[in-house]
Amino acid sequence: MSRLRRCALRFYNVLRPERAEVDADREVAAHLALLQDEFQSRGLTPEEARQAARRAFGGVTQVKQSHRDARSFVWLADAAQDLRHGLRILRRGPLFTLTAALSLAIGIGANTTIVTLATALFFRPPTGVTDSARVVDIGSNRGPGGFGPGSYPNYLDVRQRTTTLASAYAYSRFPQPMSLASTENGIRADRVFGTVVTTNYFTALGVAPVAGRLFDVSDSQQPGASPIAVLSHGFWTRRFNRDTSIVGRTLTLNGAPFTIVGVASAGFRGTGIRASDVWVPMGMAGTITTRGMAAFTDRAAAWLLRGGRLTPNVLIAQAAAEMEVIGQTLAREYPTENRDTTLRLLASSPAPGSNGPLVAFLTLLTLIVSLVLAVACANVAGVLLARATARRQEIAVRLTLGAGRGRVVRQLLTETLLLFAFGGTAGLWLAHGATSLLSSYLLASSFALDVPLVVDAHVLVFTTALTLVAALVSGLAPALQGSGADVATALKDNAQAPAHLRLRHLFLGAQVSLSLLLVVLAGLCGRALQRAGSVDPGFDPHGVELASIDLSGYTGATGPRFARELVDRVRRLPGVTDASVAAVLPGGFETRRQGLTVPGVSPPNGQRFFGVDWNIIEPDYFSTLRIPLLAGRDFRAGDYQGAPPVAIVSEGAAAQFWPGHPVQDAIGKYLVQPVFTPAGVAKGSLTLFVVGVAHEVKSTSVLDGLARACVYVPLQQAYTPSISVVARTSRGQRITNELQTLLTSMNANLPIVTAQTLEESLAFGLTPQRVVASIAGSLGLVGLLLAGLGIYGVTAYVVTRRTREIGIRMALGAQRAHVVRMILRQAMTPVAVGCALGLVLAAAGSRVLTAYLFGIPAIDPVVFCGVAALFLLIALSACSTPARRATRIQAMDALRYE
Amino acid sequence: MKERVELLQGTLDLIILRALATMGPQHAYALTARLEQVADHPFTLNQGTLYPALVRLEQKGWIKGAWQKTEHGRDAKYYGITRPGTRALEQQTDRWRRLSGLVEKLLLDES
Repeated sequence: MSRLRRCALRFYNVLRPERAEVDADREVAAHLALLQDEFQSRGLTPEEARQAARRAFGGVTQVKQSHRDARSFVWLADAAQDLRHGLRILRRGPLFTLTAALSLAIGIGANTTIVTLATALFFRPPTGVTDSARVVDIGSNRGPGGFGPGSYPNYLDVRQRTTTLASAYAYSRFPQPMSLASTENGIRADRVFGTVVTTNYFTALGVAPVAGRLFDVSDSQQPGASPIAVLSHGFWTRRFNRDTSIVGRTLTLNGAPFTIVGVASAGFRGTGIRASDVWVPMGMAGTITTRGMAAFTDRAAAWLLRGGRLTPNVLIAQAAAEMEVIGQTLAREYPTENRDTTLRLLASSPAPGSNGPLVAFLTLLTLIVSLVLAVACANVAGVLLARATARRQEIAVRLTLGAGRGRVVRQLLTETLLLFAFGGTAGLWLAHGATSLLSSYLLASSFALDVPLVVDAHVLVFTTALTLVAALVSGLAPALQGSGADVATALKDNAQAPAHLRLRHLFLGAQVSLSLLLVVLAGLCGRALQRAGSVDPGFDPHGVELASIDLSGYTGATGPRFARELVDRVRRLPGVTDASVAAVLPGGFETRRQGLTVPGVSPPNGQRFFGVDWNIIEPDYFSTLRIPLLAGRDFRAGDYQGAPPVAIVSEGAAAQFWPGHPVQDAIGKYLVQPVFTPAGVAKGSLTLFVVGVAHEVKSTSVLDGLARACVYVPLQQAYTPSISVVARTSRGQRITNELQTLLTSMNANLPIVTAQTLEESLAFGLTPQRVVASIAGSLGLVGLLLAGLGIYGVTAYVVTRRTREIGIRMALGAQRAHVVRMILRQAMTPVAVGCALGLVLAAAGSRVLTAYLFGIPAIDPVVFCGVAALFLLIALSACSTPARRATRIQAMDALRYE
Repeated sequence: MKERVELLQGTLDLIILRALATMGPQHAYALTARLEQVADHPFTLNQGTLYPALVRLEQKGWIKGAWQKTEHGRDAKYYGITRPGTRALEQQTDRWRRLSGLVEKLLLDES
């Protein structure tokens, strides 16, 4: 009790020290007065008595200090004092505080954003799920590291054999675009994304409905037996304004009626990274997808992602071990379909086990943002060091007056921490803005990625730790240097401080090299973008309107007819000069890759097939995109289903298949295309007759950067439901609305999935380069600017320190040019070293970048030399002013300086 | 070194409480004088030790300070023992007796 009371009082005295201080002063004064009275009564004069009293009492200041120590927490009071002092110092140099905090905010904000993204993709379990830590994902892979989908029969076997999972569910890999038909009960035609799920999906995940009910095991899993649907909360809000009476109504999805049975809870966004609007039971897969009954029976048709909930008291490692065994057993039992296929089990996350380009791109971004933070830290450390140097006298006075070195270090560190706290807070704020921007961008992009990006407690801990570590790393050296001031020399104003300068130069060099690295990386990405713009892609992307549609509701018989009629009617729209349809558009992320064989020619390197890209098109595709036909003819009305299969090859393909022959020779040759069932099982082959050779199309996107061999086949002979209308307009005008009206008039249930121009689509393909260029560029320039300020600071400091020396030199007849040279040499050495180091780093960095992104030149002399010259120029101009000032030093002034 | 300080600290608290309990409220100077007078051999109480002890005891609620006039009309802060202080004094005295008894016994056994 008494201890508690004392502790509380001590805290109180930390916060309100004034009253206790006054009281203590008064008490000591009273004590002295009483002592003086005593001495006076012994016959001393008042003055003698006063002095005797002081002697008898001892050190007044020390007693007061011990009084303070006892009545409050001195360390806490010190910290508060340091904080106040730090704030005062930071307020006194607002420019420094702002630039430093801003550069830190950018560095910390960028890191936080990337970590938020990575956490959301790889480490956060799905939201809106009960006890999500017990939910796992199951992936199949052939060869090491993959985490892919599996087939329905394999899923059923896993579900039956597992003992470590209380329930195992499956769902279609990506939400598929489906057409929602307009009906008389007020539902407008729209494109929706639908996911097929097993009926135990919601119960296994523990998702609650907000209206109606969700699927459960009583719903039949039999093909076609349960035409019911569950809506996502977002879709329900967006389209039905949270109308609970929607339950029981009918939706027509891809032409089939579904009864809405309920709406999932607000927090639940599905188990993948793409947003789903509706969920339908597994039994409807044959009705709603193009897979037909093969969806249920084909063991090789890998279209389902699987997951499950652990049985109580089972560890994830046990479940993973069991899954591995089940995988091996299945591979043994079904050697044709499951050869070399293993099963893996991981804690659930939106992008489980991903090791593809997503991880690579995130790694690259992580590297860049770490660099940015390093530059910011080097800069702040450099400036702090300069300030510690400028404050040598103040610190020396403090040390002389009895402050401990630890106390001084603590004070300097407090200032740094304060600065970083500002930077970190602003960084969090920046990250918050960046993540919400990113979230909306991802959702609006053609991938429709629904990744809940929240700066949560984990991220907050990360950012705080990052800020603290960065503060310590960049604050400790300056603080130790500053507090180590040799009192005697520091108090003399003209003292040289070589150690200080050395450390300062070190930070400056590091800063220059890292900023240079960033600017070079940005420059390389800029060059890639520039190349992408200047290279002749082989087609004319200007004034081409695109509209991708999904004909999933159509069959192989009705789909091609519909497409043909659509193209005819689009061509008749006012302002349209040419129109066609294609499955793949140049410059996008999507490719259709499949092998083929050529009679009489063996593929290179002993492979069984020639690997080529395929495109499925309608006639006039080449004229619409202005791709020249080098030989032969375009597809025409005669190339219909049932007529001899034909193909057009690209120039590169012709050269690859029949090397040494002119491309014209390709006409009349044959290609053999292996044919697979929708499930991927080989069933014979198709011989294609080559009727034309098209000019090479160079794509500039990330994934298919090079002009790759391409084979075109007519849509009428190789139907695919996912197509894009391409239409060239006379003056490049947009015709989205006309297209939508046309489509609605032809089929009210057919929405446009995405509408954009070909140029927009091409630009989207370059997004990674753009992102890297803008991040690295803007931050590199900030770094460059900061480096310039740093160089100016160091040079000005050097000149001030050497004023006397320079004065003497000039008095003894030194030339101005000589003095300038001397100053420049000292200031430019770290810059030159930093530049050289930065160039080496950039050369290494560009190799890494080349591996990730297409079109990045490895060593680009223009960028490398240009950036180095830019840095040297800025460094020179930064130190020219102080150097000129040095030449104006008058000998007499310099000697009088003290 | 550390133990000595701690022992001294505890002892000083006991001595102050005891003095205040027998003599009534005293100011710091009078306490110093009184302690020097009571001590058999020359014993100077460092003010740097006395004041923290007073702060400590006051914060614990065992003594209470109040500003009063001395008989010569000077201002001085008089410390008086409180009821919790009296209780604490009894406990501390008890503890000290036991401790010193133990030490005495040990010293006797050793010799």
